[in-house]
Amino acid sequence: MADNPAAFPDAAPEVPDASSVERAFLRRPSIGIRARLALGFLSFIVFAVAVTVGAWIMLSRLERRLRFLEVADRYTMEIQQARRFEKNYFLYGGNLQDVQEHIANARRLLVAVAPDAAEVVASAELGKMRDHLGRYETLIARLVARDGAHASADRAERPAIEAELRDHGSQMVAFALELAEKERASVNATLALFKRLPVAFLAFLLMFSVVVANFLARQIVGPLSRLMATTQRIAGGDFTPLMPLRWYRDEFSTFSVALNTMMRELARRQEVLVQSHKLSAIGTLTSGVAHELNNPINNITLTAEMLKEDYGSLADEERLDMVNDLVVQGARAQKIVRNLLDFAREGEITTERLDLVEVLRQAASLAANQIKLSGAKIAIDVPSNLPAIHGDRQSLSQVFVNLLLNALDAVGKGGHVSIAAGTSREPGYVQVVVSDDGRGIPAHVLPKVFDPFFTTKSRGKGTGLGLSVSLGIVRQHGGDIRVESAPGRGSTFTVLLPAAMVPGLTENDAQATRPSASKPSRPV
Amino acid sequence: MQERLQVLVLDDEPIVGKRLQPALAKVGCDVEVFDAPGPALQRVAAKRFDIVVTDIRMEDIDGIEVLEDVLERWPTTKVIMITGYATVEVAREAMAKGAFDFIAKPFKPQELRDVIARAAEALGFAGIERAAADDPA
Ligand SMILES: Nc1ncnc2c1ncn2[C@@H]1O[C@H](COP(=O)(O)OP(=O)(O)OP(=O)(O)O)[C@@H](O)[C@H]1O
Ligand SMILES: [Mg+2]
Repeated sequence: MADNPAAFPDAAPEVPDASSVERAFLRRPSIGIRARLALGFLSFIVFAVAVTVGAWIMLSRLERRLRFLEVADRYTMEIQQARRFEKNYFLYGGNLQDVQEHIANARRLLVAVAPDAAEVVASAELGKMRDHLGRYETLIARLVARDGAHASADRAERPAIEAELRDHGSQMVAFALELAEKERASVNATLALFKRLPVAFLAFLLMFSVVVANFLARQIVGPLSRLMATTQRIAGGDFTPLMPLRWYRDEFSTFSVALNTMMRELARRQEVLVQSHKLSAIGTLTSGVAHELNNPINNITLTAEMLKEDYGSLADEERLDMVNDLVVQGARAQKIVRNLLDFAREGEITTERLDLVEVLRQAASLAANQIKLSGAKIAIDVPSNLPAIHGDRQSLSQVFVNLLLNALDAVGKGGHVSIAAGTSREPGYVQVVVSDDGRGIPAHVLPKVFDPFFTTKSRGKGTGLGLSVSLGIVRQHGGDIRVESAPGRGSTFTVLLPAAMVPGLTENDAQATRPSASKPSRPV
Repeated sequence: MQERLQVLVLDDEPIVGKRLQPALAKVGCDVEVFDAPGPALQRVAAKRFDIVVTDIRMEDIDGIEVLEDVLERWPTTKVIMITGYATVEVAREAMAKGAFDFIAKPFKPQELRDVIARAAEALGFAGIERAAADDPA
């Protein structure tokens, strides 16, 4: 998840400095997790409100239709009633009072229903209905007026009125029935829709929940697992700051900034430890260097004294030989001191392409004095065609000095210490094996030797920081240190370092092959 | 005329022998120099030296072993140890094992001559060497 560039990347010289990363985080707009959760739930609430309002509107419309349907039924009934009385009137000659009453009822219903009816039937239809009703009413009124006059003046008029009444009446009934029928069908359709609606709503809700839940989970689980990977990386000694990956900033960004601060502190502390342990190593090395330095100084003293004593009596070539000796021994002394000074110099950590052979030579020549002084023997086997590596010369030579000094402490007079370098079985790695035939490390101690401050040496002799600091340095270079040891059989420390990358091999490829074991391996 | 003092000088720095040879010859010593313990010990087995000067720290065989070897064969030979820095304990050990004296690097030829003169006196040689050394060159 989190990309994990080594602390010493091959091609990219600009390791982002912490404050610029922090600024990059802070520049981003803030969208907190709380806000996103609130947004998620708000969308649910909005959805629920929309559904509720929709349902309410539909239900009230349905209610209006049911009412209309009821009115339409009553209207039909009134018309039918009116027609029944009308029929009676023509058959048996009753009065038309009842017809008028029912028609008046029907008209009232029609007026009352008019606003509701507008959305159910076309207004032309409604107008037609009103026309029929009006015509029917006037015809009835004419009949009533004729009967009131008692003058059967125009007998022929009656059948004409009757025919027209029939016509309008039947059309009125047909209209009313059709209207009611239509309305019933529409109401039924709406009801059927209502029956399906909850199912659709449920399905949609399910989908919506899945999407929202997924979104929120991604928002939270993603950064969480990135942070988790980061803590693992930190445990492995990689203190590269986290870079912002998103266009906004949230609680995780704050956390990342805090992690970066922590990593910066850790790196600083590690540096202080490295530096202070280096001072103690220099203390140890000094005795060997001083001893070694005594030889050229002694040679110079003897030569200079004899030159002075016999100056007049010496042949020219003898004098020249002596002066040459002085020059050579002076250079030798300088070299011995420069080695120590090089090692002691407190320099910036710089990443450069390094010839491991040179680093090993420097470390070996520093520790070799010490080893010789103690009566042990050192063997160095470094092939000259070793692949180059990338790293900091100073810290790496500190690693090898530490391993050599440890070996020296473990062997006695007549013991053997060896440095052998070569390509590792891990592809892409160079290894340096520092081994001794000293007392070895008991199995119960072995897992602890890389712990800071773990030492079996007496106070003032060992700080217990040598291996811990060395492992820190090597991990920062993307490598690892493995140990094999058994009591009485000596110890072997193997330092793995990534070989300088062949062009074409990307950073990630190299990361993928990072040696897996992070714990010291057990003796085999 | 007195017999000359037989001296063997052993130091794995070749320049030490090269310079001490004339320095000691001047004060009346017959000097043989070696820069490796092996040949030196062979020579000791073949010839008795009055004085053996040996470095205490060498590869292969160290000065203490040379001391023991010489004293075993020639108990009256005076052995002078050359020590480096931080080997005071070893020097003490050498004294306990019968070394005549020790001299610390770096030293001047005259300092060694003085020690040799004392050793010669202890051996019964008159103080010629010292006198000779005091002669301005
Ligand atoms: N080559 C070795 N042989 C045997 N034991 C070893 C070897 N290297 C390390 N150890 C054990 O591991 C312990 C821790 O080593 P480390 O270098 O971290 O500290 P130290 O050597 O005790 O102290 P310092 O390095 O400050 O002198 C040592 O005390 C020793 O017991
Ligand atoms: Mg150590």
